[in-house]
Amino acid sequence: MSSPSETRPTGTIHDIGYRPYEGVRLGEGAVAWSLFRTGLRHCFGLGRSGRSKVLPMTLLGAILLPAVILVAVLVQAGEALGLTGQLVPYSRYTMITQVVISVFVAAQAPALISRDLRFRTITLYLARPLRRSTYVLVRLASLLVAVFALVTAPLLVLYVGGLLADLPPGRETKLFLGAVVGALLLAALLSGLAALISAVTTRRGLAVAAIIVVLVVSFTAVAAVQGIATEQEMPRLAQVAGLFSPYTLVDGLQVWLFDAVASTPAAPTGRTGVLFALTALVVITASIIGLLARYRRTTAL
Amino acid sequence: MTAPVNADVTRAARRTGTGTGGLVNTTVAWLGLRSLFGRRRGILLFALPLVLLALAVLVRVLIEGSAAAPDILYQLGLVVVVPLVALIATTGVLSSEIDDGSVVYLLAKPLSRLTIVISKLLVAFGCVLVFAAVPLLVAGLILRWDLPRLGIGFAVGGLAGGLTYCTLFAFASVLTRHAVVVGLVYVLIWEGLLGGLLDGIRWLSVTWWSAAITDEITEGPPLVEKMGVTYAIAATVVVIIGATWLASHKLRGYSYTADE
Amino acid sequence: MSTIQLDHVSRWYGNVVAVNDVSMTIGPGVTGLLGPNGAGKSTLIALMAGFLAPSVGTVTLDGTPLWRNEQIYRDIGLVPEPEALFDYLTGRQFVLANARLHGVRDPGAAGERALAVVEMTDAAGRTIATYSKGMRQRVKMASALVHDPSVLLLDEPFNGMDPRQRLHLMDLLRRMGSDGRTVLFSSHILEEVEQVARQIEVVVAGRHAASGDFGAIRRLMTDRPNRYVVRSADDRSLARALMGEGSVRAVSLRAEGGVEVEATDFGRFSAALPRVARDLGVRLFEVSPTDESLESVFSYLVAS
Repeated sequence: MSSPSETRPTGTIHDIGYRPYEGVRLGEGAVAWSLFRTGLRHCFGLGRSGRSKVLPMTLLGAILLPAVILVAVLVQAGEALGLTGQLVPYSRYTMITQVVISVFVAAQAPALISRDLRFRTITLYLARPLRRSTYVLVRLASLLVAVFALVTAPLLVLYVGGLLADLPPGRETKLFLGAVVGALLLAALLSGLAALISAVTTRRGLAVAAIIVVLVVSFTAVAAVQGIATEQEMPRLAQVAGLFSPYTLVDGLQVWLFDAVASTPAAPTGRTGVLFALTALVVITASIIGLLARYRRTTAL
Repeated sequence: MTAPVNADVTRAARRTGTGTGGLVNTTVAWLGLRSLFGRRRGILLFALPLVLLALAVLVRVLIEGSAAAPDILYQLGLVVVVPLVALIATTGVLSSEIDDGSVVYLLAKPLSRLTIVISKLLVAFGCVLVFAAVPLLVAGLILRWDLPRLGIGFAVGGLAGGLTYCTLFAFASVLTRHAVVVGLVYVLIWEGLLGGLLDGIRWLSVTWWSAAITDEITEGPPLVEKMGVTYAIAATVVVIIGATWLASHKLRGYSYTADE
Repeated sequence: MSTIQLDHVSRWYGNVVAVNDVSMTIGPGVTGLLGPNGAGKSTLIALMAGFLAPSVGTVTLDGTPLWRNEQIYRDIGLVPEPEALFDYLTGRQFVLANARLHGVRDPGAAGERALAVVEMTDAAGRTIATYSKGMRQRVKMASALVHDPSVLLLDEPFNGMDPRQRLHLMDLLRRMGSDGRTVLFSSHILEEVEQVARQIEVVVAGRHAASGDFGAIRRLMTDRPNRYVVRSADDRSLARALMGEGSVRAVSLRAEGGVEVEATDFGRFSAALPRVARDLGVRLFEVSPTDESLESVFSYLVAS
C-alpha cells in the first residue's frame, strides 16, 4: 500500500505568459496610415474573404477590357486605318464606362462606411489615438483613392498603348495628364457624395440603392434635358443642366480647362466654366463638412 | 395562460384564424408595408417619380409637343425609374429582413411560404403601381396631352416590367444577402451596358419586353425592334410565375443559423 | 403529449461536422441543452425547429418530420437567438402581429395575455427600438407564447438578462414545464441549467455526451475510474508491478498487446507509472487514455 503521509507538492509561478507591451508606440500618423491602407485594400476585396473580391475585380476587369481592346486595335491596325490619335479620347472613356464606376462606388462606399456605424464598431476605432475627424477623412481618402485607381487604370492602359503605337508623346502626355486631373475630380465628387449618403443611412442595402439612384437618375435626367435643349437651340440651359450630374460636371470642366474632347452636346464656355469649377468645389467641400458633422453626432455606445 | 395542454378541443377552437388560408396574408402585407415606410427607404421611393414628373414638366414648359417625349419616358421612365422602384420596394420588403434574420418570425408560423412571398410581392407591386406606373401615365399626359395612348402605353409597359423585376429581385433576395447589389448589377450592367452592345441579350432583358408591350399600345415609332409582343407577354408571365414559385421554394429551405 | 425525437442525426457543412450522430428524445417538462460555445447547440435547436435539414437521420415531432413542414409551427414556439426584431413596431404591435400570423382566434386577448405573462404590459406601448436587451428577450418570449404552443424552444434565453429577470424567466419555464409542455432551452452556463431543468442533455463538440438527471451525471463522472492503455517492451512484468501500486484498481493484459490499467487516482498514477517502468528497466512505447472524449466532458462539467 502507498505511504499515507505523502508530502503535498509545492510550486511557484514564474511566468504566466502575460507580457505588457513596452515597445515603441507609433503616433496618430501611423494609425491613420494603416487605416487608410486597410480601407483601400478592402475596397478591392484584398484582405477580405474571396466572395468580396468578386465584384470589385469583375468591375475592374470590365472597365479595363475595352481599353485593352482599343489599344490592341491601335497598335496592330493603327497604321492601316490611318489613326492619328486614340480611338476613344481619354475624356470620353470615363463617360462611356460610367455605369461600372457608379456600381463600384455604390457597392464599396457602404461597405467601407455604413458597416462601422451600423454595428457600432466605430467605437473601437475611436478608442485609439485617432481623432474623430482623422478617422472620417482617412475613410474618405481610402474611398477616393480606390475610385481614382478604378477610373485611371484604363486611362493608363490607353496612354501606354498610345506610346507603343508611336503617337506623339508630348501631345499624348498632355491629354493623359488632363484626363488624370479629371479623374481625380470625379473621384472626389463621387466619393464625397457616396460617403455622405452611406454615413446618413446606416443600412447597407438602402445606402447602395440611394447612391445608385442619385448617380444614375441624375445622369439620365441631365442627358435627356441636354438632348432636348440642344435640339431646341437653348445652349445656356444645356450647359447649366450639366451641373447636376458628377459625370457631366467633370466632363464640362475638362473641356473648359484642357480643351478636351467633349462627351456631352453642351460643354461650358467662358463664364459658365467658372460656374462649373465653383460647383465642383462647393459639392466636394459640402460633402466633407457634412460627413464631419454626421460623425460628430455619433454617440459612443 | 396556464391551462393544461391536453385540451385538444380548445386548441382546435383556437385555429380559426384570420387569413391563414388562401394565398394572401394581410398581416404579412401590413408588416411589409410598415417595413418599407417606417424607415427611410420610403423617401427614395418618392424621389424617383418626382424627378420623372419634374422633368416632364420642364420639357413641357420649354417645348411644345416634341418628338422627344417617348424618348424621355423611355430612357428615364422605363429604363431607370421602373427597375429602381422595383428594386427598392422588393428589397425593402424582403431582403432587409432576410439580411438581419428577423424573417424567422414570419417563417416560424403555420403559413405556406408561397403565401408569405405573394403577400410581400403584393406590397412591392403596389409600390410599382403607385411610384412608377401612375407617374409614367401622368408624365405621358403632361408631355402629350393630345396623345393619351402614349401615357397609357408606358404605364402598362412599365407595370408589366416592374412586376417582372419585383419577382426577379424577390428570388434574388431569398438566394443571397447581397440582393441589392446583385439586382443593380443585373439592371445596370447586364441589361444596360451589355444589352446595348450585344443583340442576343435583348431577348433576356426585362426592359425590352416592357418596351415591346408599350410599343403595342402606343402604336407610335417603335422603341425596340425585332421583338414580337407575344414573346414579350409570354416571357413576362413565365418569369413572374416562375420566379415567385422559385422564391417560395427556396424560402421553405431557409436555415437561419447558416452564416455565410 | 409532444415529444421531439432525434434519431441518429448528423449535420455537416462541407468539412465541418456540426452535429455528430446524435439521438435524443425530448419529452414533456423542462430540458436543458448544455454545452460549451460551438458545441452545436444552436444547430440542434435549428434542427428541432425545422429550420435545418439533417444531413443524415430524422427529426420528428410526435412522428411527423419537421423539415419543410409549416404546420408544425402551430405546436411549436421558437425564441431565436439573434437580436434582430422589427424595430419600428411597438411591443404590443409585434406580439399582436405574431398572434395574427398564427391564426389565433381573438389575437388581441391572446397578445395581452402573453404580454402579461412576461410582465411587459407597461412597456408594450413603446417601439422596440427603445427596448433594452432584457426587454427584447421578453417580447420575443411573448411572441412565442401567444399561440399557447405545446413545445417551446429557446435558444440562449438568459443572454443579457439581469438577475431579477433571470429568476422570473426561470420561474416561468418551470411553470410551463409543470403544465405538461415540452420546454427545451440551451445554455452554456451551468447554474442556469442546474436550477431550472431536471433533465439535461450535454452536447460537446457536436457529440451527445450525456443525458439525464444532472446530479446523477456528475456522480457518474467522479466515481468513474480512469482507463489507460500502456504498451511496453515487457507487458507482463509491468502489469505485475503496477498491480502493486495503490493508485491502480485493475490491470489486464490485452490480446492485441498492451496493458489496460484502471486507475483510481490519476495524479498518483501518472507519477507512479514512470517510476515503476524505470525501476524495472522496461521501456514504454505508448500511454494513452481510452475515454478521452469524456475527459473533456468531465473537466467541463466539474470546472464550475
